[in-house]
Amino acid sequence: MTDISMHLTTDEIELWAQGLLPAARAIHLADCSLCRVEAERERKVILELVQLPRFAPTAGFADRVMARVKVPTPSRDWTA
Amino acid sequence: MFSLLYRMVRDRALAEDLAQETFIKVLNGIKSYRPEFKFSSWIFKIANNAAIDHLRRKSIDTLSLDGSPSAETPEQMRATSLQLGDRAESPLDEVESRELGTAIERAIARLRPEYRSCILLRHVEGYSYEEIAETLELPLGTVKTYIHRARNELRVYLEDRRD
Repeated sequence: MTDISMHLTTDEIELWAQGLLPAARAIHLADCSLCRVEAERERKVILELVQLPRFAPTAGFADRVMARVKVPTPSRDWTA
Repeated sequence: MFSLLYRMVRDRALAEDLAQETFIKVLNGIKSYRPEFKFSSWIFKIANNAAIDHLRRKSIDTLSLDGSPSAETPEQMRATSLQLGDRAESPLDEVESRELGTAIERAIARLRPEYRSCILLRHVEGYSYEEIAETLELPLGTVKTYIHRARNELRVYLEDRRD
């Protein structure tokens, strides 16, 4: 069991940034200015990371890949 | 997966080549896929290995617009920084500088490649620590350490920039 007076770990700060910090630890955060400053700084970085845009390759990428993939051709029975 | 590769190598054309190489490996080697792993983790693993191999081959892992992170004096920073005026900027370069020119993207570029993969998988792709450990074949403790260090370094870079 975590002592309520213990400062938040980096894992707990990440949980807080995700809104998942257990209530007992949230009490410490509310009372501890050191942890609040640290958590806020961490939250800013996490927020910048999760808001990063997704990039896509240029048009025709899938066709270029498929052109280089060995697609197994089913063996055919020519006598049928 | 393309976003991860692009942010790892910071070159669109090269990222496409590596993405193509990754998909060809995946599709041609589909029989070696082990269903106990998440399919997307397997793809990310192959993509990340391709990026890391490339960075090691080219030894550009510490290259950044601001110079090597190990540079300690302004002279060292200048000597190791990319000189944008050294070559004519192509339309593709302009796209890259627009896409990857923000403070956070530049900060990510300064991280060690191992830190970069971990932080991108965690916060951009939304992987859990366990999934990252499995994907990158790293011990769970190492993944946590890399992510915490990466976030600390990003914080320092970004706060320096704001000061």
